[in-house]
Amino acid sequence: MNQADLQALRNPLLVVAGVALLGALAVYSSGRLMIAARQQLAQQQLQLKDARTRLQKSGEEKDIIVRYLDSFRQLERNGFVGDEQRINWLDGLRLANQQADLFGVDYQIGAQRPYLHAAEFSPGPLALNQSVMRVRFRLLHEGDLDRFLVSLARQGAGIFAIDQCLLRRIDTRGVIRYQPNVNAECDLSWITVRVSASGEQKKP
Amino acid sequence: MADKLLIGISAQTVTAAHWRGGKIVECLTFANDEGGQADFKDFLDRSADTPTHIMVGAVEEDYRFETLPHAYGSDRADMVGRKLKQHYRNTTYMAATLLGRDTGKRRDDRYLFSALTNPDLIADWLQAVAARGMPIAGIYLLPVVGAGLLDKLDVKATNLLLVAQHATGLRLTFFRDRQFRLSRLTRGDSGRPENRTRYFSEEISNTRLYLHALRTMTLDEHLTVLLIDRGDELQEEAAGVARENPSLDCVRLGRSELAGRLGINNELLEASPYAIYLHLLGLKAPLSNLAPASTMVGYKRFQARRAIYAACGALSVAAAVWTGTNLYQSVMLSGDTEYAARQTALLSSQYQEITRQFPQAPTSAENLKKTVEIAQRLRATAHTPQKVMALLGRALEVSPAIVIRELGWKYGVTEIEAEGARTLEAAPSAPGGAAGQRKESALIDGEVRPFRGDYRSAIITINGFADRLAEEPEVSEVKVVKLPLNVNPALSLSGNTLDNPEQGGTAEFKLLLVIKPPK
Repeated sequence: MNQADLQALRNPLLVVAGVALLGALAVYSSGRLMIAARQQLAQQQLQLKDARTRLQKSGEEKDIIVRYLDSFRQLERNGFVGDEQRINWLDGLRLANQQADLFGVDYQIGAQRPYLHAAEFSPGPLALNQSVMRVRFRLLHEGDLDRFLVSLARQGAGIFAIDQCLLRRIDTRGVIRYQPNVNAECDLSWITVRVSASGEQKKP
Repeated sequence: MADKLLIGISAQTVTAAHWRGGKIVECLTFANDEGGQADFKDFLDRSADTPTHIMVGAVEEDYRFETLPHAYGSDRADMVGRKLKQHYRNTTYMAATLLGRDTGKRRDDRYLFSALTNPDLIADWLQAVAARGMPIAGIYLLPVVGAGLLDKLDVKATNLLLVAQHATGLRLTFFRDRQFRLSRLTRGDSGRPENRTRYFSEEISNTRLYLHALRTMTLDEHLTVLLIDRGDELQEEAAGVARENPSLDCVRLGRSELAGRLGINNELLEASPYAIYLHLLGLKAPLSNLAPASTMVGYKRFQARRAIYAACGALSVAAAVWTGTNLYQSVMLSGDTEYAARQTALLSSQYQEITRQFPQAPTSAENLKKTVEIAQRLRATAHTPQKVMALLGRALEVSPAIVIRELGWKYGVTEIEAEGARTLEAAPSAPGGAAGQRKESALIDGEVRPFRGDYRSAIITINGFADRLAEEPEVSEVKVVKLPLNVNPALSLSGNTLDNPEQGGTAEFKLLLVIKPPK
């Protein structure tokens, strides 16, 4: 095919190129429409499945609410659910110190951040946070440490986990009297949970 | 069916026909003079861009049968091209048609070489067509086109002589086994009917003699003469030929029979003797095309254009079908989506109706349950140093010489660090540092008291204490991190034997204790 042939066939070739372009455009556009429609259907079918499952489990859902609502309210009150209740923690420290007959507790609370070991509890949409409280106190003897920690847990100021502790004997030169004999230093993680807004039950 | 322009050129006249819808719709005859050519050009102007098939019926034609060695591809084309140039030096209108293979041992190729030996005969007419840019599809000799009659009339005769009266003379075309072998156009006036019978008989006899001379057919062989009588005026001639030549069959085909078997109307048959051939040419163009490549350029482009437009059509149809299928599926899918949406809305409203009877809750049932369960697990899995202290207490009961000065305890993914035990470790700042299972570990810093410089005894006491701890089922590992005297052969050791350890020496040690992780 030479230059003259190409010149003679220019118009038909332009037409075929145009037709091919338009055809490809039409096929592509309609294909995109079809894919979008298919995706919408898949999404809608998923929603339908969810709605059906939710309806089927509505009886079970009511049972769960009845069973767990009181416990949940209790956790709200003691500060595990919702915002941190640091004043409650300090009150708890004060009371635990008194009940364990300690010589006073120094404390230092760090900033709140996501709980490091949240994955162990599979929290799903719930957000677990922690604030590390470092406490320093003196003990009459080693047994007071456990008394203090048990007492703190019973105050109902929230839920904490003990990360680490250090006990160091105080040199009293052999003098035996009512005095601190052990220095203690512990890191406690106060754990709170935040229920996401999307998880709130829609009430009529 | 595509339109065609069919042109039959003879020395005296030109017959042009317009082919449309599988038949000739217009047929005009033009004289071979200036007036005729002007009318012909006017006719062409009305048929622009129509592919044109040209047929030539003239005395100046030549046919040769030859056998050539069997060859393929370019070798065959070169050989045939050389033969054509060798036979026909003065014309560009020539063709070679492969008829088949020879029956001999070599099985050579049999060819029919044909040519129009007087190109000037068609020059002016061809020029008129070419000047209008009309694509010339082919140039054929009339007898070759006439071979199509045998198929249309379904003639079975082995030796057949087709005889037809034309304006320029009598055309006699011989076929053997339905294959074209020879054609003659006699120049002569048939005159009165009685002379015409003799004239026909003489020309048929001359043709038989010529065929005999060419060794194509012997005089003894039976011959069938097919007399084309488009004007129904050759009954007597047909009878006369049969009477004068008992060794042959003379079959006359009258107007009505021709019209019926060929599908041509009577008016067309009457209009021109070429109408039959133009009709055959319109139905099917023969293989033997005399037109050189330069003449066919326009037609090749026409065919390419037509192919491209056909491709356009096919593309359009394919795209339309594809697009239509996609759109149809989209509509169907949208319908399904709407149905699913209605079902979802219905189920949701039913669910809402049911939830009206639920107790008022601050979050979903799932979140309620999970929150309470997490709180329970946190309480249940809480770890304190109590377990380690209990273990130490039991071990110390049987090791009164061991005095604990410092105890570090940790519940974490990593063990407590020996060097960092003096102060609490900085807690990791990112959640990413918490991968792995947590376990309890403790670092015990103590001494052997009283110590009187007996390192051997002190080390035995410390190891005994460590062994007792290791015997506890909850203990995973006990490691002596530091001894009063480092006896590691990899390290240097120095001192003075005059030193008195009783006056202030100590036997300090460090143990790392790891508790088995909870199951």
